[in-house]
Amino acid sequence: MNRWWVGGVVAVTFIALAAAGCSSKKKGSDLEGGQGAGAGLSDESLSGGSLALAKSGQLGAGDTGPLHDIHFDYDSFELDETARQTLQENAQWLKDHPSVRVEVEGHCDDRGTVEYNLALGAKRAAAAKNYLVALGISRDRITTISYGEELPLCQEETEECWSRNRRDHFVPAGS
Amino acid sequence: MRGLRATLLACWTIALAAQAAAQVRSTIIGPGVKRYPIAISPLKQATGSASGDQFTRTLGRDLELSGLFRIIPSDTYIENAQTSGVTAESIDFNNWSVVGALALVKGSAERQGDDLSIEARLFDVAQQRQLAGRRFRGHAADEARMANRFADEIIQYFTGERGPFDSQIAFLSTRGGRFKDAYVMDANGEDVRRVTNENTLNLSPSWTADGRGLVLTSYRLGNPDLYSVSLPRGGWTKLSSLRGLNLGGRWSPDGRRLAVTVEYDGNPEIALLNADGSLLRRLTDHWGVDVSPSWSPDSQQLAFCSDRSGSPQIYVMGADGSGVHRVSTAGNYNTSPSWAPKGDRIAYASRIGGRFQIFTVKTDGSDARQVTNNPGSNEDPSWSPDGRYLAFSSTRGGAAKLYITDAGGTNQAELTEGKGSDTSPAWSGWLE
Repeated sequence: MNRWWVGGVVAVTFIALAAAGCSSKKKGSDLEGGQGAGAGLSDESLSGGSLALAKSGQLGAGDTGPLHDIHFDYDSFELDETARQTLQENAQWLKDHPSVRVEVEGHCDDRGTVEYNLALGAKRAAAAKNYLVALGISRDRITTISYGEELPLCQEETEECWSRNRRDHFVPAGS
Repeated sequence: MRGLRATLLACWTIALAAQAAAQVRSTIIGPGVKRYPIAISPLKQATGSASGDQFTRTLGRDLELSGLFRIIPSDTYIENAQTSGVTAESIDFNNWSVVGALALVKGSAERQGDDLSIEARLFDVAQQRQLAGRRFRGHAADEARMANRFADEIIQYFTGERGPFDSQIAFLSTRGGRFKDAYVMDANGEDVRRVTNENTLNLSPSWTADGRGLVLTSYRLGNPDLYSVSLPRGGWTKLSSLRGLNLGGRWSPDGRRLAVTVEYDGNPEIALLNADGSLLRRLTDHWGVDVSPSWSPDSQQLAFCSDRSGSPQIYVMGADGSGVHRVSTAGNYNTSPSWAPKGDRIAYASRIGGRFQIFTVKTDGSDARQVTNNPGSNEDPSWSPDGRYLAFSSTRGGAAKLYITDAGGTNQAELTEGKGSDTSPAWSGWLE
């Protein structure tokens, strides 16, 4: 589900992740290919947000940046253990890149109604923002936006697809 | 715009017979009663130019959609419309009783240049007398609108209440591109016009208080801001661009305020905006989701959706945020409230077995009734101006299309077709 953006900067995160015992996420996290540490974040401006990707028909690849999606239960904006671990990794990356701001996108699967899901997406984005702030990331660096059910990564009527779409996506900006 | 050339569309009552006693007639037809057989004769052409076909076609569609009438097929008609009379004295009603008609529409059309004049009369076939008559004068492009008006008058004659067809439905469709854009069509699904062409997310259209534009949420500048868009394809005016959601701007029926969903520290709450879009006051203050406000017709109360009980449910509160009480009692996922213009009921979508069905409930929470019951998902109910019908989206045939139903759910018909998905219908008030 998650395609890992690999770079030197992720190594620190990777160590923390391995320590946390997320063995399933180790795969593909070794330091091969991808952009090196010096590649910077020039490709990761806000133009890389889900709406811009959707406009160019490229939404669907999902999680490709240095910050990783978190996922939610149906009709829930609660952060489960896996989501909190991922947020800790994302927080660490943000601490290592203090000049980078981040936009948190809240998304839903399409089984709700449009307006309710826009509100739910806002709650999901806010939940992640508040957790990142609690982990020491300045509130000023984090903005949120809800896309409700409007920008799905996949269209199948399966729990796997719905689960993939129920996400917070993190878009770094600046350098 | 084309459908709104009201000043040119002057109407005169050309016969005042039987204008009274409409209340009595409401017993003639109604929900649960067999459809009333009506014949719609082609109009007599007063000049050689072809006009009037759209009038009879649209009139037939409206009356069919109303669920109140059965249109006698025109290929069974005996009479030659061009040589027969159009008044009670000159019509041979036997020609209509033999084809099974109890009611009959006859009339004439005259076109001179771009000017169109249509005279239409409604007759009782058994009693051989005229029930109602109108002369419409306007632009040739207003022919369908003349038919919609006459349909509403026929419905008024038979039920005692004006019909809903001289109105429009705004909606969102992906028929023209990757994203949902706003469209407007006649209430019977005819004459679809595109309003926005933005290549971005556009959501939750509703009508401005004066009916001359739409309010919608668009991500055109990145943030989901609230805009007013003039019709037919006019300019965008930003109403509200608070950080985060500026969603579901609903004008109060008195035209003084807008109810919206905005975020307070990431928490969606219902708030009121002044007419210029500035923030007037916050109405809800709860940790959960509060969304989708819908005004009562007297502008004194709002229905909305909240998950404060742990699941999305329908609530009602005063327009000052006081007196919140829950209206939906069954089901664990109830959203999209729409308050009926008559004030008596609230329609909403309820999730049952993974699909949404339309329900209505009295505003005190009693007497919930299921309107749709089919394998598709039925969402976003919006009331007709007369409060007798609902427009909604449904996936019963595959991609989402718009449907109309009477509030009881007896007569459901598809309004839109073609490619893409059609969602979020918003029924306007009557045109002026």
